Amino acid sequence: MSRQTIVVERTYRARTQEVWDLWTTKDGFESWWGPQGFRVEVHALEARVGGALRYDMIADTPEMIAEMRRQGQAVSHKTHGTFVAVEPYSRLAITHVIDFLPGVAPYDSTMRVELIPSGANVRMVVTLEAMHNEELTRMSIEGFTSQLTKLDRRFEAASAVRD
Amino acid sequence: MVTQIDAFQTLGDPTRRRVVEALRGGERPVNDVVQRAGIHQSGVSRHLRILQEAGFVSMRPDGQRRLYSLRPERFREMETWLASYRSLWEARLDRFGAALEKRRKNRGKTRKETRR
Repeated sequence: MSRQTIVVERTYRARTQEVWDLWTTKDGFESWWGPQGFRVEVHALEARVGGALRYDMIADTPEMIAEMRRQGQAVSHKTHGTFVAVEPYSRLAITHVIDFLPGVAPYDSTMRVELIPSGANVRMVVTLEAMHNEELTRMSIEGFTSQLTKLDRRFEAASAVRD
Repeated sequence: MVTQIDAFQTLGDPTRRRVVEALRGGERPVNDVVQRAGIHQSGVSRHLRILQEAGFVSMRPDGQRRLYSLRPERFREMETWLASYRSLWEARLDRFGAALEKRRKNRGKTRKETRR
């Protein structure tokens, strides 16, 4: 494998089907997908091999909208991909088409998800191609947001002391 | 951001990674790199040039020879980038957990209501 991969994993207290649904249903996917400050609107989610995944990624907070404008980017953009592996309640893989990076030719990026049940828990392992990915362009924006958050916290701390 | 993309593309090439491996032990002339990487001299020179342009390798003339070495700053930058990438995904998995929790609660509520 020539691309750098990153593995992130988490154990949730849930049933495998509940975790699976968050990846494979419109409601589920919309409830968590996307970086902080964005929401997604799913137009197609066909959880079968070769099935389409199409959604709009929409800046969702005033700060993010302002930042996207400042960077000369649209506040909403169409994202599309394909389910390349689907083994119900156990494994899936999604290939995203990354075609919105300025100055970069379109390319594919695949993420793999594995669910491993263990008693009342499910371990979810996500393998990402870190080389590029749909949130790449948003990283600088997130950096901007987390700076703001830190600032807010500092203000809170300061006013708490004052009170 | 685009510079980081370039960085990953630069190191994505397996031959180039062999050149990087060959330089791991420290500063070396081209001939040493050729031997260690097992690649033809013209290939090594080309890859060294690309690596140099991307900031991964620096060159120092030493009389007739050119000595190449790795620049740790560039690799460190990449590590930082990867770490921030990872933390983005950790945050995303937090949201995943929160969404899961919310759905469980809502489902519990619906169940109770139907029971009534």
